[in-house]
Amino acid sequence: MKRFEKDFSESTHQVSISILIGGAAGLGVGTLEKILSDAFKSSGYYVFCTKEFMSRVRGGSNTTLIRIANFALQAPCWEVDIAVALDALAVEHMKDRYTKSTLLFVDESFSEKDFSTISVAMKESAKKFGSARYVNTYMAGVLFGVFQLEKITLLRSIEKYFQDEEINKEVAELGYETGQKIENITLPKLPNIDIKEVQKLHLMDGTTACGFGFLAGGCNMITAYPMSPSTGVLNFMASMTKEFDISLEQSEDEIASLMMTLGGWYGGARAMTSTSGGGFALMGEALSLSGMTETPAVIYLAQRPGPATGLPTRSEQGDLNLALYSGHGPFPRVLLAPGSLEECINYGYLAFELADKYQIPVIVLSDQYLADTIMMIGDIDFSSYEQRRYTLKSAEDYERYADTANGISPRAIPGFGKGLICAVGDEHDERGQITEEYKMREQMVSKRRRKSDALLKEVIAPICKGDGEIAIIGWGSSRGVIAEALERLDDKRLSHVHFAWIHPLSFEQLRVLDKYKYKIVVENNADAAFADQLKLHDVDVNVKILQSNGFSFFADQLEGMIEESLKELS
Amino acid sequence: MSHLFDRENVDVAWCPGCGNFGILKLIKEVLEELKVEKNNTVIVSGIGQAAKTPYYVDTNMFGVLHGRALPAATGIKMANPELMVIAEGGDGDMYGEGGNHFIHTIRRNVNIVHIVHNNMVYGLTKGQASPTSQKGFETKVQVNGVINEPFNPLAVALSLRAGFVSRVNIGNAEHAKGVLKAAFMHHGYALVDIFQPCVIFNKTNTYQWFKDNTYALDENHDSNDFNAALQKAFEVMPMPLGVLYQNKNSVVTFEEQIRKSDAKSLYFITHDVSRLQNLFDSY
Repeated sequence: MKRFEKDFSESTHQVSISILIGGAAGLGVGTLEKILSDAFKSSGYYVFCTKEFMSRVRGGSNTTLIRIANFALQAPCWEVDIAVALDALAVEHMKDRYTKSTLLFVDESFSEKDFSTISVAMKESAKKFGSARYVNTYMAGVLFGVFQLEKITLLRSIEKYFQDEEINKEVAELGYETGQKIENITLPKLPNIDIKEVQKLHLMDGTTACGFGFLAGGCNMITAYPMSPSTGVLNFMASMTKEFDISLEQSEDEIASLMMTLGGWYGGARAMTSTSGGGFALMGEALSLSGMTETPAVIYLAQRPGPATGLPTRSEQGDLNLALYSGHGPFPRVLLAPGSLEECINYGYLAFELADKYQIPVIVLSDQYLADTIMMIGDIDFSSYEQRRYTLKSAEDYERYADTANGISPRAIPGFGKGLICAVGDEHDERGQITEEYKMREQMVSKRRRKSDALLKEVIAPICKGDGEIAIIGWGSSRGVIAEALERLDDKRLSHVHFAWIHPLSFEQLRVLDKYKYKIVVENNADAAFADQLKLHDVDVNVKILQSNGFSFFADQLEGMIEESLKELS
Repeated sequence: MSHLFDRENVDVAWCPGCGNFGILKLIKEVLEELKVEKNNTVIVSGIGQAAKTPYYVDTNMFGVLHGRALPAATGIKMANPELMVIAEGGDGDMYGEGGNHFIHTIRRNVNIVHIVHNNMVYGLTKGQASPTSQKGFETKVQVNGVINEPFNPLAVALSLRAGFVSRVNIGNAEHAKGVLKAAFMHHGYALVDIFQPCVIFNKTNTYQWFKDNTYALDENHDSNDFNAALQKAFEVMPMPLGVLYQNKNSVVTFEEQIRKSDAKSLYFITHDVSRLQNLFDSY
């Protein structure tokens, strides 16, 4: 397969172009991403955008990567075809990602001799319209002009995203004219397109897809404290309070976040909270309360590199052990880690179903990469997601912790029925009174334990792709990048195993992995926490490919890493 | 007096002579006299001797973590504003471990009755200082006596513009009952700080001490007067009892503001699928 080679002579080839745009926070890199992704999509290309940014509101140096192609994209690449530096610092910041053929667009005021640079009067042109901030719209115009794409498509996208769209359209038009006139450059040829196929797709980031999943699951309450990179879900749900009846409160701290969520479920809501590692650490005690009182909870945990404050705006799959072992005393829980937009929706929905049905905390593990990456998704039929209720009207002799065969006590909520609902964090008897009686303790421990056993029948098996004897195993957000790395390698020995259901794992189900002669685990962390989980289930891993530098994996780099790791096998 | 709110077959875990018995009786009487529907009432409590109270009252209850009754109570009101919600606990629970929630629950004006048993000592952990312990109070931990300024819940609540701020002494049960009833009738957040002696670990602040060092506010105090209330909140030896402040203007509550439509329980709220579909399709 020649998918990624820059050989454009045959138009049937699958071709992608990567554009990296860099600039200080406040220069509008994010806005440029929105406009261009929308405009490229409207022009008929498959689009993929991901960003990396510093933990500051102004200044510094941030980038966004926009990939366009004539086939579905699901991963970022490190090396780029085109780089656009909105300021001088960006030239340096993006340097490691240039190749000999990278085209670098810079302002005329600075030059970069080592690369094929194209000087553009960005600053001067923007200033003509009264503000340096128009530099982003100007460059959107330049790129569209260089590619000789329809100008009107770009202008329509600008209309969507700007309040002062008239002036921005003028700026873009000037950029477009400039771009058209640029000569003597060897541009990567734009891939052939199928507008009809692309128009059917929806463009959104992981945050939004998770949000739709939670709504599909009937989420009608969210209480959260802002923390990158989880805040997007809180923002999304806040915007949805205008569309749906959703109770929302920004809590005073993460302890209150989860306590309010538990209060919400106790009172009859389908409630959730969103947080990142540090905030989740504060929720530990309340998580344990969820386990003991058997009060459902859904927690969206968007990971970022730790320990402590770590890298607040960057990505890592570093909180698996935290999510798995947080909370004192054993109690059943579920960990889900979606790896595509479809999985964000399906597992977001499933989180509410499982929490309600099993009366347990369910943690949805995302990360900055997944949360902030814009990808494409096909149609979703929301009528197929039923918003269920697993509660009953209480009878007079209702007992909240009635012992049952599978350990799940029928849950009732106050105000519905004749019984009283006594939910308690102390050890309790069946009606919810405090007890220290050792036989009752044993009975309740066993009851909670049986819920863990019952949960095993819900476990969703990993997705195994390929017939090769070497399994490349990943979990969560790395799904797309591993897939592309394997396509690039085009090696029949390699198979892809993706886990989105992380905990509990089913011992029997994992025997499907026994057929692979070698197992290589890919994790965006330093502790290989998932490989440890596999080992607990008698799955031995031969090689671990780990990365914890603040970036998610890049398909081209991962390709090399896998190639390298194959040498270790023989 | 009937025993409508007595819970059957419970082993009350307090020490003989504990002030909590009086508070338990008081609460059950007030619930009954106000004809509160037990199925529609939830008492949320944290951890501590005071927080055991709801185990002995026949209503719905959510026994949570030390310090965390208020956010749980807030969550319940968010889910179902029609429920009568009481948050109950001791001074350590509500003013120490849960101090942050105390501040923000008042700011929100959640429509709950907040009952704090204030005995100026930690009972369950056996006798350490609490946030409200008086200076000089000696314990096994504060061996040279308490050096910190005692927490003033009434002044804090007033400074946050709480709509109902009161203090009572369980030694004067009749007076306490009137105030507690008023708290239940108040629309919005209502604080009732209840002085109660710990007969085991606090040999200083006894029934007699509370009697000697408090007085009931009379009609000369205008509970509508915020500045007068603030002044009263800082009065010591004797300390005033009664409703220090009540905002009688109808102040909109937290749950009245955060819900989009009516105050229906979220149990009934599912999202319109076609609207969800359209929103998704617009991306």
